[in-house]
Amino acid sequence: MSDEERLQPEAPVTGQGRIDVAWGANTGDETEQELSRANTAQGGEVFEQHYTPWQGTLNPRWMRNWAILRHHLLGIFRKGHRPWTMPTRIFILIAFLASLSDAGMTLLSGLVGSSEFHSLFGVSRDNLYGHVLGFFPRNVLYYPIIAALLVGSVISEDREHGTSALYFSRPVSRVDYVGMKFVSVSLIQALVVLGSYILYFLAEVVAYGRGWAWMVDVFPMFLAGFVAGLLLIFTYTSIGLSLSSVSTGRFFPGIGLLAIVFGSKTLASIVKNLFGREILYLTSPYDCVAHVGQAIIGTQTTYDQYSWTYSLLALVVMNALALYVLASRVASMEVTRE
Amino acid sequence: MSRKNDLPSLWSGLDRKAMAVAEFTLRQQRKRLSTWVVLLVGIAAMGVLTMFYIDSMTRDYEAVDNDGDSYDWDGDGYPNGQERLYGTDILDVDSHPGLLDPPVLPDDASVWINEDDFDWAALEEGSVGYDDNGDCDVEERTDSQKDANGNGIPCDIQLTLNRYSDSYSVRSDGNVDEDPDDEAYALEAIHRSFVLAIGKLGVVFLIGIFVPLFMATGLIRQEMTSGTMHFMLAKPIARSEVFLYRILGFLAIAWTYVTLLIVLLAIVTGFAGPSDGIFRFADLGVWLSVWLAALLAIMVYSMLFCMLGVLWKHGMVLALPIAAWELGMILTTLGAPDAAILRFSVIGWAMNIVDAGAALAWADLPLLIQMGMWGGGYGPLEGAEALNTFASTPGLNLSALATMTVSGLVLVGQAAICWFLGSTLFKSKEIE
Amino acid sequence: MIPDVTQQGRPPSTDSPAPTQNVPVVYFQGVSKSYGRIHALSNITLALSGGVTGLLGMNGAGKSTLFKLLMGKLRPSAGEVKLFGTDPWKNPAPYAKVGFVPEHEKMHDWMTALDFVSTFARLHGMTRKEAEAEALRVLEFVGLSDVANKEIGRFSKGMRQRTKIAHALVNDPELIILDEPLQGCDPLARTTIMNVIRELGKMGRTVLVSSHILNEIERITEQIVILHHGKLVALGNLHAIRERLDQIPHTIRIVGEDARSMAKDILDHPAVYGLSFPNDTELLIQTYHFGQLHAELPRLIVENNHRVSLIDNPDDDLESLLNYLAGGSA
Repeated sequence: MSDEERLQPEAPVTGQGRIDVAWGANTGDETEQELSRANTAQGGEVFEQHYTPWQGTLNPRWMRNWAILRHHLLGIFRKGHRPWTMPTRIFILIAFLASLSDAGMTLLSGLVGSSEFHSLFGVSRDNLYGHVLGFFPRNVLYYPIIAALLVGSVISEDREHGTSALYFSRPVSRVDYVGMKFVSVSLIQALVVLGSYILYFLAEVVAYGRGWAWMVDVFPMFLAGFVAGLLLIFTYTSIGLSLSSVSTGRFFPGIGLLAIVFGSKTLASIVKNLFGREILYLTSPYDCVAHVGQAIIGTQTTYDQYSWTYSLLALVVMNALALYVLASRVASMEVTRE
Repeated sequence: MSRKNDLPSLWSGLDRKAMAVAEFTLRQQRKRLSTWVVLLVGIAAMGVLTMFYIDSMTRDYEAVDNDGDSYDWDGDGYPNGQERLYGTDILDVDSHPGLLDPPVLPDDASVWINEDDFDWAALEEGSVGYDDNGDCDVEERTDSQKDANGNGIPCDIQLTLNRYSDSYSVRSDGNVDEDPDDEAYALEAIHRSFVLAIGKLGVVFLIGIFVPLFMATGLIRQEMTSGTMHFMLAKPIARSEVFLYRILGFLAIAWTYVTLLIVLLAIVTGFAGPSDGIFRFADLGVWLSVWLAALLAIMVYSMLFCMLGVLWKHGMVLALPIAAWELGMILTTLGAPDAAILRFSVIGWAMNIVDAGAALAWADLPLLIQMGMWGGGYGPLEGAEALNTFASTPGLNLSALATMTVSGLVLVGQAAICWFLGSTLFKSKEIE
Repeated sequence: MIPDVTQQGRPPSTDSPAPTQNVPVVYFQGVSKSYGRIHALSNITLALSGGVTGLLGMNGAGKSTLFKLLMGKLRPSAGEVKLFGTDPWKNPAPYAKVGFVPEHEKMHDWMTALDFVSTFARLHGMTRKEAEAEALRVLEFVGLSDVANKEIGRFSKGMRQRTKIAHALVNDPELIILDEPLQGCDPLARTTIMNVIRELGKMGRTVLVSSHILNEIERITEQIVILHHGKLVALGNLHAIRERLDQIPHTIRIVGEDARSMAKDILDHPAVYGLSFPNDTELLIQTYHFGQLHAELPRLIVENNHRVSLIDNPDDDLESLLNYLAGGSA
């Protein structure tokens, strides 16, 4: 192989040839002048540049916002949209299937035709409540963790990587930006919480051939559970997003949300069991939602030392505080890589 | 270069590296706002609980007249109990001890509330109890009434040990120890249940799991994603050492924090709790076991979460369900301390240590619960159910000391396994 | 032992220890590294000892991968990597003689420069006192002694780079690896850093510097390694390599309004040895002196008043590499 051939781009790279070429050559950098070869230009040209202003019309605001929302939502299902991490998506799927357990049991009881079975798992006031607001396992293992995983990255990651600039350099206001993030995170949770809730209801209809009369009968109860679910999702999301907006870390918002939900609940139940006082439940987001939910669905309330309106008030305060933090943080957020 | 002449020994070299990394970690955490927020929120939460505790210690507990002998049904000025004692008719205004010879002055009604307190010395099978006010051995009661439990001894309490449930059943001859001092019992029981509750759920569980979750999950991972790990890994230090020393730096903060917290709690409850002297020294043993359990739990959790962080960029996805699992497990320890499933948790072992410590420091704890639940035959006294909830027997069927040793060793072993796994993973990790 | 040299070159110290081992400091034998389907490095064979070597290549050419393999941060998919004769994977022992300056911008912003350097000095087994003395010395060497007690977070980019270099020099290493040390620095910082690197070379250390800008490397050393798409393209003296590469026949494609009239004017140029017209608007030029022609092409076109919509290089890969060698901006 000649030198010429070895230096062809197609030639196999051996490294051998090049060493002979130049290794022995002058390695000295004793004189700096020799090194700084004059890179003299032989003349230059300035090309004329024409910029034409953009004459198009901006799409309406809802359309732009829809694009953001769609980008976040579709990321759960397929590639090419917001990259929710794989483990998050797997967990959402698992939680969704697990929260369908009562729907499955209802179908089974319909097949077996056992009324005891049905009273245990079928649609009833208590079970509708339990599907959305039951503590274990739903509000320990499924719903808060989904919320934690979602909020863990939604704003803080944008702050960490500076990708919020992608939005803010376009005709998207900060309010719209954070609003769409809020809605998309809520919708993903709703998909699990309320989606499985609706399927559960339908399972009862299918398994027992329930007619219109039954549906009209049960519908107010169903609706109350639905509203309670919305309340749960809204509360988790607003607390979670406000944590996400104050931190740049990947871990902090998720762990923070879980610490708030579990921590306040644990403290409240210690105080309840030890001193017989329920007042601390007012600081626990889960318990407040549960109390309000029990009241509007009409099941036996587990909190009887104060009225459910206090819980509602506490929820309003909690959410207002969280949204205030979120709004003020996003409004003052620097669009840089932090 | 002079330092090359006096080469440090292997040990002192390791020592210096350990100090350097640990100190670095400590200062790094100290500079983070989130560290302070987390630690302050922890103190605030414990503070709120302590407020409730202090309030309950200074509250008055209503003295309940269990057997109703402080009433004066016939209105002759003599409480029923006193009339019964002297054999006069409690329903006849013209029959009272004042008519006896010599006449007896009427007691104040309050004497007949809480008049027959518990007096069981120790918890053992057989005959216990003493009828303080003598209303058991009165003439109007037949012999079979005086020996209702049929153990041949009149006016006593028969304790029978149930071998399967390891608990005692209480059978009284009636009117024995039937009217205990409610306030004394409530204060003692609530105090002890508070120490156990805040020790187990507050310090060992909440602080023990969330502080590592917040601060240790990212110890390695955050450095890896931000690229700053490159600095440390380009130095002659093994990655397993980096892993260990980072954790040591974290523990320097977390252990100091939890120690301070426990000392504060011990001081506050020691002075505020009911006691004969000024300070409840007996509780210190329990606090010591809480301290031990908290240190070990924090160590295991930090190793575990740091390992999960190394294992996966999304280690939090694994850590959060584990935290939820541990929450489920601690609820299980309260109800079923010897459930086999607890062996697959960290918190189950840590709880064993606290329970063993309580068994050592408060040998009369099962007795106290038993008496409170029995309540003189009139149902649980105030505080008894709380105590029953938060106290549990150490779940290994071993002696208290053995339980403590075994659980401690298991926790150390768990930490070692997590360290080993974490550093092995870290070693074979390619770092971008 | 490190002389106080910041901006000005001074006579090199004579007692500098030459590498005594027979093994090369850096040794790659048939090393490949792939991430899934992407081949970051393929079949690299390389041995270096002593002197300053510039590692040249575009972004993504595999420079950082090479360094990371060397620092045991990545495991080679095939082949053998040796650092001072030992495999660096899972083996931190050889790092005692290495100083590594990573490319990452992120640093521990909350530390002062002195803390930063001395903390990492302690990882070499120094006591706190020794580490501090050593840290002050290297900080002075890179010209940061006056800001040693300021937080890194408030440093400019050049100062940060110098801090990183200082941290790498703290163990008086025999091999210094600098990954893009000049990136984002202003001219003054650039000069300082270049002086530092040259000085280290004169002291007999083995220095590896990576860059994607030829001019930078040119001012530091003439001994270069060129990586392109994960392959070792050239190794040796810069001038020799450049001459060789410049003489490889090369094609330039021009799309314009009238290819034939354009051809007339361009054919006169001494560097052109062939022309062809695939169609009316397209012109293909063959040349041996690509760099020269490329520099003069715009002038030729403008002088003769041609309308050109595209100048393109069909054999893209080599082309872009040559662009770099020809000065980067073409």
